Amino acid sequence: MDVLQLGSYTFSSRLILGTGKFSNATIMLQAVRASGAQLVTVALRRFNREQAEDDLFGPLSAIEGITLMPNTSGASTAAEAIRAAHIARELSGSPFIKVEIHPNPQHLMPDPIETYEASRILAKEGFLVMPYITADPVLAKRLEEVGCVSVMPLGSAIGSGQGVATAAMIDIIIRESGIPVIVDAGLRSPSEAAHAMEMGCGAVLVNSAVAAAGNPPEMAEAFAEAVAAGRKAFKAGLMQKSGSAIATSPLTAFLGANG
Amino acid sequence: MRPLPDWLTDNRDTASLAAMLAPDSSSSLEALAAESKAITLRRFGRTMTLYAPLYLSNYCSSGCAYCGFASDRKTPRHRLEPDDIRRELAAMKKLGISDILLLTGERTAAADFNYLQRSVEIAAQEMQRVSVEAFPMSVNEYHELAGCGCTGITIYQETYNRERYEALHRWGPKKDFIDRLETPARALEGGIKSVGLGVLLGLSDPVEDALNLYRHLRHLGRTYWRAGMSVSFPRMRPQTGGYEPPFPVDDRLLARMIFAFRIALPDTELVLSTRESAAYRDGMTGLGITRMSIESRTTVGGYDDPENKEKGQFEIFDDRTAKEFCLALRKKNIEPVFKNWEPAYNGPSDGNASTVHPEKAEPCH
Ligand code: SF4
Repeated sequence: MDVLQLGSYTFSSRLILGTGKFSNATIMLQAVRASGAQLVTVALRRFNREQAEDDLFGPLSAIEGITLMPNTSGASTAAEAIRAAHIARELSGSPFIKVEIHPNPQHLMPDPIETYEASRILAKEGFLVMPYITADPVLAKRLEEVGCVSVMPLGSAIGSGQGVATAAMIDIIIRESGIPVIVDAGLRSPSEAAHAMEMGCGAVLVNSAVAAAGNPPEMAEAFAEAVAAGRKAFKAGLMQKSGSAIATSPLTAFLGANG
Repeated sequence: MRPLPDWLTDNRDTASLAAMLAPDSSSSLEALAAESKAITLRRFGRTMTLYAPLYLSNYCSSGCAYCGFASDRKTPRHRLEPDDIRRELAAMKKLGISDILLLTGERTAAADFNYLQRSVEIAAQEMQRVSVEAFPMSVNEYHELAGCGCTGITIYQETYNRERYEALHRWGPKKDFIDRLETPARALEGGIKSVGLGVLLGLSDPVEDALNLYRHLRHLGRTYWRAGMSVSFPRMRPQTGGYEPPFPVDDRLLARMIFAFRIALPDTELVLSTRESAAYRDGMTGLGITRMSIESRTTVGGYDDPENKEKGQFEIFDDRTAKEFCLALRKKNIEPVFKNWEPAYNGPSDGNASTVHPEKAEPCH
């Protein structure tokens, strides 16, 4: 069976859903169900132990068949992310941690140096680490080396809806990677998610595109279908683009049969 | 007299904001609203972060002409003692509040740095996020405050027009225009993670002030690349018996300013307080503002003792309860968010944090 393997965990769905930015918890839960996602991420800063109505963790943990992946969004240094990871594991019991470190809370770009440090330490501590990174092929390999279970390069800036603007770099990351590559951030439409999957991504993570849609549950379902179609196309093997096809009369025939 | 800083006359990227704010602007208010709404939805989703102010003290040594707490006003003065603060916090927590703004007047013997620092410590034990709107401090003081759990400083320039500024700030430390101007930079230098800026609309030419406010934000963003920033739009209303704002800003101009700032600064938190009416705040919901105050009291304390009839620093126009307010947000399909922070992220922002020192950023106890 074609599954997404993250550490010792396997998932048949390749769509990961973010849970912020929804107009209310009911719609968010409907979207999660409609997406068929088995892995969803929730920010530790949206865990509210004191006020159930404001808490995202409680209602999510009640859904069956869902693995929660807390994230450290809000952390600006490795030290903060590590503290957050410990709290998140204690509260959620999940071994997954999405390391999200943005030193500037405005544009939310991930800090490669802090992310590397935090991921290295958390992986050593036994977390299943999923770092959110810029689409940097070298950084991706460095994170694989220190034991991350996937890398999550950004397609474009969070909430920008610009799609996979970093496709050329993500292509290199996928080709070189021994762990699943998950495009995170920037996707606006299901067709862009399908494109990322056709490129060979292991999964995609979507939040704004679903939360800000006119009908979030329906959009979640559309993303699920697009992700499944894109994956199927990748597995089936896409036809070569024109220009790179092999010529019918070989260009190297003059070299002789045993050349 | 110290000269104005260069950035205050820097026209590098003000053109498009200026065009949107010009009195004869060709962009219709409706078109700006639509663009502002789309940007807000993409970047912030369908959410509104909520906070509440707590006035710690109304002692003040400054003479700001427009303020109910100026030192020549005959208003009773007090400050909250640690136990009062704990009681107020408990009452606020009952309302769901977990993000709090602590306020004082200008530095005085009764409410000095030590008093403020102690208050921040107490608040940080109870609340998820603590910001401060008080007197200007030194870099070291800001660093200490960050270590105690203060993540944000609000400091309004009030007006960027130096002449008007100096006339309005009749005496006291706040009279120093340049020192005030340099305060947000000192806060960021000291490791405070985000600064809230604003002009007090009504004091001076609002468009000129808005452009200078934008220059200030851009200057800070370029100098302190880690800086979180927010912009507030406090507006003075003509009030009976109070200070008459010489440059009143009407509803449409305020809306134009909010939309234009959202378009010019797509990632910046924009704040609207209970100085505005319920109808105006409801109308603005989803169109650009991403942070609002709730259940505000502008008297010292006031959460634990709802019978307190004292005069506050300014009049509140939206006096709905948190419940009523959240209901209105939900009607607009916007989720109220009470907790959007984690104390694990407290501590001074670390200029060069490439190695992990968990103990370095530990909040004080
Ligand atoms: S605005 Fe602040 S500094 Fe000025 S008089 Fe009022 S409390 Fe004092």
